Amino acid sequence: MLKALSSDQWNYAAAAHLLNRAGFGGAPNEIEKLADLGPDQAVSHLLDYEYIHDATTDPDWAKPNPEELRQFREAVKNAATPEDKKKIQQQQQQLIQRRMQELRGWWLQRMARGPRPFQEKMVLFWHGHFATSFEKVRNPYYMWRQNELFRRLATGNWQELLADAGKDPAMLVWLDQAQSRKDHPNENFAREVMELFSLGEGHYTEHDITEAARALTGWSLEPLGQKYIYRPFFHDNGDKTIFGQTGNFDGDDFIALIVEQPQAARFITSKIWNYFAGQEPSPELNEALAGVFRAGGNNFKPFLRVMFRSEEFYSPDIVRNQVKSPVQWLINSVCVLECDLPPTLVSYGMLRQLGQDLFAPPNVKGWDGGVTWITTNTLLARYNDAQALVEGQLPPLTAGDFARKEGGAGGEKAMKIFQRVRMGGVDVEKILTPEQRASKPTIVAALEHRLFQATLNSEQEQTLREFLDSKTQLSDADIITTIRLMMSTPEYQVT
Amino acid sequence: MKNEITLQTRREFLRRTVLGSSLAWTVPAFLADTFSALQAEAADSATQIVTGKDAPILVVLQMAGGNDGLNTVVPYANDFYHNSRPKIGLKAEDVLKIDDSIGLHGAMKGFKELYDGGQLSIVQGVGYPNPNRSHFRSTEIWQTASDSDRVEKYGWVGRYFDNACPGADPAVGVVIGNQLPESFFAAQPKGIVFNNPQNYRFMANGTATEESYKKLNELEMSSPLPDGGPSMTPDDNSGGSIAMLPAGMPMTGGRAVDFITRTALDAQHSSDEVRAIAARVQNQAVYPGSQLGGSLKLVAKLIGGGLPTRIYYVSQGGYDTHTNQVNSQQRLLGDLGDSVKAFTDDLKAQGNMSRVLVMTFSEFGRRVSENANGGTDHGAAAPMFIVGDKVKAGLLGHYPGLAPEDLFQGDIKYNVDFRSVYAGVLENWLKTLSAPILGRQFTPLPVV
Repeated sequence: MLKALSSDQWNYAAAAHLLNRAGFGGAPNEIEKLADLGPDQAVSHLLDYEYIHDATTDPDWAKPNPEELRQFREAVKNAATPEDKKKIQQQQQQLIQRRMQELRGWWLQRMARGPRPFQEKMVLFWHGHFATSFEKVRNPYYMWRQNELFRRLATGNWQELLADAGKDPAMLVWLDQAQSRKDHPNENFAREVMELFSLGEGHYTEHDITEAARALTGWSLEPLGQKYIYRPFFHDNGDKTIFGQTGNFDGDDFIALIVEQPQAARFITSKIWNYFAGQEPSPELNEALAGVFRAGGNNFKPFLRVMFRSEEFYSPDIVRNQVKSPVQWLINSVCVLECDLPPTLVSYGMLRQLGQDLFAPPNVKGWDGGVTWITTNTLLARYNDAQALVEGQLPPLTAGDFARKEGGAGGEKAMKIFQRVRMGGVDVEKILTPEQRASKPTIVAALEHRLFQATLNSEQEQTLREFLDSKTQLSDADIITTIRLMMSTPEYQVT
Repeated sequence: MKNEITLQTRREFLRRTVLGSSLAWTVPAFLADTFSALQAEAADSATQIVTGKDAPILVVLQMAGGNDGLNTVVPYANDFYHNSRPKIGLKAEDVLKIDDSIGLHGAMKGFKELYDGGQLSIVQGVGYPNPNRSHFRSTEIWQTASDSDRVEKYGWVGRYFDNACPGADPAVGVVIGNQLPESFFAAQPKGIVFNNPQNYRFMANGTATEESYKKLNELEMSSPLPDGGPSMTPDDNSGGSIAMLPAGMPMTGGRAVDFITRTALDAQHSSDEVRAIAARVQNQAVYPGSQLGGSLKLVAKLIGGGLPTRIYYVSQGGYDTHTNQVNSQQRLLGDLGDSVKAFTDDLKAQGNMSRVLVMTFSEFGRRVSENANGGTDHGAAAPMFIVGDKVKAGLLGHYPGLAPEDLFQGDIKYNVDFRSVYAGVLENWLKTLSAPILGRQFTPLPVV
């Protein structure tokens, strides 16, 4: 198992598959570049991103700011009237919401246009894995910081990532670890770290949870400094028995015990395979993947390299058989259409409507993914959002729907803003050469090549040619509508 | 087969030619199913096919996060209760008394009115053996009606559709929201999902675009599956095949595409009807401005408009009250009571109240003892509420004991299995056999 795909099996379709899964896809010339590199270099080009300079700058508020916090608390305390106090708190909430919006845009931009798509794809994986929501954390700096942690350790060591993610402020708040005390250990993080992050249901006991919760006491948050702090006074120094081993364990010992479990490698490699390949690995494949991961010292990079080079990853039941997540759908669309990412307000509205609200996964299990992305509602929304993307303008009803979610009087205002939004839209000259544009069959073929890296079935091709035939004078707008129609197919929803 | 239908359009042609042939995936689920239902020699006499405008309706209301049952149906006179909850325990004056030992949370005025009007039944101490304290696993258990040590592929609502509703319109199940709940997972998935009727359509800039969209979305699927259609949960997993990609341009298609094609057809065929009803029917009650209020408001319109739905699904989140429970639960339960009360008022004004039953559930109750953060951690048994004109009003089952010897690991022990409640609803309200749906026979709790 996991034999490397031989060079003579490497072709355009294989390169497209790699770029779609290990990145967000790309225009035909980018795929050709990868195809020319051969499999080893193509995988390395994506995975060894450390050698590519990333000039992205941090948002200016992305740092601990005790002074700002102090001033806010002061202002609330000294407010002359209850109305003043409410006003100050409202202003603070607006500031927080503005920053979250900036953060969403900052990340989406990195995915769409940053120089390290694979790193961002991993950050997205870790975000879904450690599924932490702003809805509870309520702190844009914490959310940014966690996102940066996922970036820094995106392909690093599992034990280090698990421990660092657990001690990061966002997680300390999200799963209540910051509230845990020796005399009342909070079990939330202790349970979820085993059930959802590292081992899975059935690989630990209820007793392991209560004991682990004791071991974890002392992991805490310094609210003013906005960072992790170990508080010995909160820590339970007694012996604990976890996975049958007894000792005066602390949180780091507990994480080390987890990673030593044979199940730990199986669990995380299965989840990563599923994320990139789009289905569960068979037990044999899972065992092989776990073996590679352990052999690489529980580091992700060597494991991922074997995975993306393997024959299994390029088998026909894997290729073009994964439902695009909403983020994949959006970022892939702007990549293949070579158009701008819509303004954050719009991108965010679309993603939320399609079921993937970044920084706000539905629960600590993250997004279920796969076919659960598709309901009658989200499918029609994808088809309609495609129109907005290609035309560079929101249909009024979609604008209204986004606005209604803002609620009340603010909704009317938001609606007006949405209706005025103009986005890049598709530039037909950029995506069709004059030769391709010369005839209807070549138009359809070129667009298939770009959007699917595959062909639609012959009846669909016929329908598209008939649509073009119904136009006497073929305008840019007609070609744009053709693209929208191709995006409004079941086939476009998979990658 | 006999050709009795006159061909009129290409779409009709496509549908007609495939009926009875192995290409049934080119038609929407409900048309294929109608055909197979017609073909059936004799329908099971216990099975009621969904058509009538007077058929009973069930509204499933999920209280997501694990509602603290003890502070919902409150044993306000119980010393064990107060000793376990010195900070968050509710006193006699905080509750809406039902009798001299039990009262509803003070925010649930709507439910108290329903109770006094004989339209609310409270099933006490509902749970299942070997309770699981994980949100996801316990939700899954409730959604699939499985034993706690078994993982079921399909949900109980989905199995109801598979068993009792062949030939049903896709709108036989309606989810207000964005995601299909696990209870709807089925061998033959049914059910439409939407949250805003105005947007529930394909927006086209011209008839040619609209016609093309329809054609592009109703072509045949690539790989027929043995049980007659694409399944939501293919059994296959990867690693079996390492055949290589073809050299040229591959063809689109595959299992994921098949599933989406079926969904696309259902969307196409339900969107006109839903929008027409939403525009036509007026609400006749004032609802809270909450998400739950909005969802029930929409459900009332759809019922009033005669959508052929048997099961509606709405949800309300936020019950995972590990910290500072008092305020958040107050708000949530107030919203629940007011929203459901408005819904019943609306249905009454429509004349549809007697057809509708509302059933609430939450994945678990919470620990008997409060934690150090003014909240409660994940527990076990809790009450369920059933609302309707024909319910067996009052308290069902008995209040679980709270003395230390009555608890298991600090949790309330169940005395009613939730599948008995499902069985009661399926047999006595939806008039169908429950054993094929729930896997075995549970004693139906007489809820109506």
